[in-house]
Parts: sequence; structure tokens; C-alpha cells
Amino acid sequence: MSILLNKDTKVLVQGITGRAGRVQTRWMLDYGTNIVAGVTPGKGGEEVEGIPVYDTVAEAVARQGAEASVFFVPPPAVKEAARQTIDAGIRLIIVVTEHIPVHDVMEIREYASGHEVHIIGPTSPGIITVGEAKMGIMPANMFTPGRIGVISRSGTLSYEISINLANGGFGQSTVVGVGADPVVFTNIPALLKLFEKDPDTDLIVIVGEVGGVQEEKAAEFIDRWITKPVVAYITGLNAPEEKRMGHAGAIIQGDGKGTPQSKTAALTEVGVDVARYPAQVVDLVLKHLKPA
Amino acid sequence: MRLYEFEGLELLRREAIPSPESALATSPEEAVEKAQDIGLPVVLKAQVLTGGRWLAGGVEIAESLDDVREASHRILGSSVRGLPVHRILVAQSVKAVREFYLGITIDDYHGTPLVILSAEGGVSINNIAREHAETVVSRPVSISKGLELSEAKQMCRQAGLKGKDATEVAGVLSSLYRVFRNYDALIAEINPLARTKEGTYLALDAKVEIDDSSLYRHTDLNLSMQDRIANPLERKGREIGVTYLELDGDIAIIASGAGLGMATMDIISQTMRPANFLETGGAITEDLLYKVTDLVLQKKGIRGLFINVYGGINPIHEGAKGIVRYMQEHNVTIPVVAKALGNHQEETWEIFRQNGVHVVTDVSTEKGIEQLASLLEEVR
Repeated sequence: MSILLNKDTKVLVQGITGRAGRVQTRWMLDYGTNIVAGVTPGKGGEEVEGIPVYDTVAEAVARQGAEASVFFVPPPAVKEAARQTIDAGIRLIIVVTEHIPVHDVMEIREYASGHEVHIIGPTSPGIITVGEAKMGIMPANMFTPGRIGVISRSGTLSYEISINLANGGFGQSTVVGVGADPVVFTNIPALLKLFEKDPDTDLIVIVGEVGGVQEEKAAEFIDRWITKPVVAYITGLNAPEEKRMGHAGAIIQGDGKGTPQSKTAALTEVGVDVARYPAQVVDLVLKHLKPA
Repeated sequence: MRLYEFEGLELLRREAIPSPESALATSPEEAVEKAQDIGLPVVLKAQVLTGGRWLAGGVEIAESLDDVREASHRILGSSVRGLPVHRILVAQSVKAVREFYLGITIDDYHGTPLVILSAEGGVSINNIAREHAETVVSRPVSISKGLELSEAKQMCRQAGLKGKDATEVAGVLSSLYRVFRNYDALIAEINPLARTKEGTYLALDAKVEIDDSSLYRHTDLNLSMQDRIANPLERKGREIGVTYLELDGDIAIIASGAGLGMATMDIISQTMRPANFLETGGAITEDLLYKVTDLVLQKKGIRGLFINVYGGINPIHEGAKGIVRYMQEHNVTIPVVAKALGNHQEETWEIFRQNGVHVVTDVSTEKGIEQLASLLEEVR
């Protein structure tokens, strides 16, 4: 079933009555996603694209059996919504929302760590199990079914890499955007672990960028735990220091940490081939797999 | 948003962390006036958003009023690390008997606040960590519980502080944590905290950065982003709601994603030189991309424009209309190449093609840049 999401997963859309929520619900349904309910406090009883809307997550779970939720909730409301969703027993939460205060992100992450839940984001394009279902905003026509798992810190680059892979004869099993904030709910290693166990994934592509230490930590994790081949691409070779490159998390601090050089070195050290430019990813995958 | 020192010190005072008496001045005359009120000697400090002000000549001690006039004249007319100085802080000069480093930051990877303390303050924490690693103590804190006073005291003991130093510094550390938490800080740092010979503990500097995403709940601070960005084009980008960074080349970029924008920069840099980084964010409209096109073409000597957009959350066909409207109204004749994929891609291509924009049909950005490069060859 690839990881975290498949065509049977009963999906809830939070913030379904907002502009982005409505449009994206249509796209997700068109892709075949099994959306069973929506939640917007105060809008219970309405319908969006034929999907019933409830006031609370607990209600959506009780009436429709929702088990995963995608957030189009405005930033100030996310902390409370996340607590409610975790308390209702939802096992997968995808937070698409951008610009959530990082202190709120830390609080949610600490709360989630005491529960059985996978929470991904914020500022994530979402997750797509190709050919089955998607939770998030990624454009469906960028993805082709196949056996490569993709983990990306950037939304648009996950599209770019996926369509380039497909062009080179390689489809994807599941593509996950971990989110572009400095603190994310789930770091790259936790997703590597899921792909390692997934029988539908033969190779994992990591799309990283300047800032933070996720790629360096991923390298340590790969060295200890991952047996499948991994290929990486790190963007931002020409990013100036101490400038936020659009993503809040994409910044090379003055202490020289978070540079593409340090990430590339850490990954190369543990045997991961690192592309310097997006189109090179296919060439590196070809060293391990035959195209379809 | 990085705060100026005087703003940071004000937040510290709100949590009862004292600092030497000080006042802002924008002219040498004003500086003299303030120095008279405060009493000599004073220290004059350029209010610019960068570290290392001492080394860059942005901080001077003045023993007499003539010194104050001269030094403030010098500092106010200067640039510190490329940033023009419009204001100086005139502060009582304090003799430190001992200096400490106190900082609260975020451990991004683990997603927790991180409290850092060193018995050796005064220089950058990176230098302290390199040269006096044994004096640096750090501790992750549960965001829901906060930093308890007992934890702060324990850190002080671990850092080798004794007696009054330990109790007083622990108190300041707890207060600093409250600043961090109450104002959604990414960094709250006192370097140094000084013990004076009178036995008081004073913050001699404050470095505070507040999370931009949290500003909606700190409107009472009246912080404006505009006077913090020195580059006029970058300021304009901020005004219209996009991220623009000026670079030193001549190929303009519009990208609908930060990762994509960086990748585009990297690819262009192989053979040409990017003029800017531009990321539209996820709220593209016709109007926004009209303004964005205006912004990226303002720099002198732009030879070509590369557009790289994906229709995920963004209605790229709407954006395309804004770009071509700008091009028509302003008679843009430089080569413009667009790679546009995702939802509404065919519609977007049509709009571009009908208006003289070269559409990349290949899915790779590399191929698109090659196309732009060959168009530029033809122009030559």
C-alpha cells in the first residue's frame, strides 16, 4: 500500500468551507481520494462537493469513520484544531497551512509525541500515494505510479523531481512533503523508516535544501538503518548566507551550519549519491534501478 | 523579525531584566543632550541589525561631551557592515567585573526551546563554544512546562557559577525565557550579562528575533518590517507579499516556490548569472504577478526573464495574465521563457504563447534555461 495513505483511507478535510479547502477537495476527489467528511466549526450541516460538513472532528469520526485529516485551517486556529484532531483518534494529519507561529508548532509537536499519530507539515504540499489517493495540494498530473518513494522539503521541487523521474522511466510509490518550516512535525528519518519497510518502494529520493540539519541527521539514520538505495538532491548551492530563501526554514545561519556543502558531504559519506541539479536525479537512480 | 538592540532591551525591561540607563539619538546634538542626562562616560552604539558592531566601528566609548559629539557624528554618518546608521543608543558606560552569556533559541530538529548559558560572555557564542566549550551548558526545555527556576539554577551550577552569581543569573535566565515565550521569539540572547562592581547584574546588549508568523498576535509592539530591510527592491517585495532577494546578475527569475526558485538560481548560475531570487508564495493572482513582473524587471540591465511556476495551490493561468499584461503595457522586448506545469497548464501555455512568451514544453528546468540561453545568443 506504499506509506501512510491508500485508496481506502477515510479522509477528513478540515477547513473544507474555505476557498482553498473547497477547490482542493474537488481536486482530491477527482484523484480518487476517499473523502468522507469535512469539518469547519460553525458550518456543521452544510455540504461541500457532496461531502457532509461537521462542527467537530469527534463528530466526523463518529459518523463517517474518518481516520486521516488534511488541514486547510487558518494559522491562528491550527493549534486548537490539531489538539482536537489528535484527541479524536485520527492517525494521520497533514498540515498544508503556511505561516503557523513556530511556538505553536513546537506545542503541537510535543502534544502529538504522546499519541499514536503521524503528523506532517506545516507548510507541506501534502502526501500522494500515486494512482490511489492524495491529501494536499500537489497537482496530480506531475506523478506517475511506480516504485520510488520521494521525501521533499520543498513542494514545487517534489513536483519537478517526480515529473523528471517519470520522464526517465521511473514512477513513484508515495511522495511526501515534510514541510518548509524550520521546525516540522515529522523529520526526514521517520519517513525513511516507513519507506524502508514498504514492500512497494525500491528506492528513496530525498529532496533537501539549505538550512537546518535534517539532511545531516538523515545521513546518520541511513547509515544505521536503511538498506534500500537512497539518492538525494540538495538545492540552494548559490543561496547567500543569512538570507531566508522564501521558506522560513531555508536559511544558512552565520555559524556556517546548514550549507549545501555540509549536507552533501554528510550524505556522500554514507554512500548516498547527491545530485547538484534536479535533472541529475534520474542519472543517479539509473545506477540502481532499470527504467520501466 | 530581528529587533534593534533598543527594542530588545525594552522587552527585557518588561520582564524585569535591568540594563544601563540609555536613550536613542538621531543627531550628534541629541546625543550630547542625552549624554548629559545620563552622565559621563557613555557608550554610543549604532542601531543596526548585525552582530560584530564593535569590530566594525559601530560602538565607541565617550568620556567627554566633545567626545560624544565627535563620535556620534562619525557613527551616524557611517555604515556598519553595509548597513547605514540612522540611530545610535546612548547608554551609561558600565564597568563589568564579570560577563556571562545567556541565550534561548530553538532546536529545530528536535522542535524544542534550547537554553544556553556560559560563564564566559562578551564574544560570539560560536567563539565561546570553540574556545571555552567547558563553560557552555545547554538544555532542551519542554515547551508546555517551560524553564523552571530549579532547572535554571542547575544550569548555573553546571556552568561553574557560585553564590550570588548562581542565584542572580538563574533569575535572569528564567526572565529571559519568559521574553522568549511571551513574544514568540526565535532567539532571545543577552551577551553579555554583566556583574558590575556594585554587584548589580545588567544586560549590556540584547539580540531578539521574533517569528514573522506570530506578528499578528504582537501588534502592540508596533514593529514595522519596512525600516529593517535596507535594499529597496527587497522592501518592495515584502510590501507586495513575495520574497525577493537581489543578486548580482542579469537574468531575472519568477518562481512559484522557494525550492524551485533556489533550483532555478542554481541552474542559471552554471552558465549565466541570476539577477534575483523571487518566490511568489501560494497566493498567486493576476494582480500579484503583474506587480512581481514589474519588480523583477526594475533592476538595470536585465537581459532575460525566466518564469518557473507550478499549478498546485496556485492558479497559474491567472498569474500568466498578469505577466503578459505587464509585458504589453511596458513593451517588454527581452526574451521571456516560461515553464509552467500542473493544474491549468494548457490554458497557461496558450496565454503565454499568444503574447510572445516562449513556452518550455520539456519538463526539466535545465532544458528551459538552455532555451533562454539560446534565445539570448540570437539577440546578440
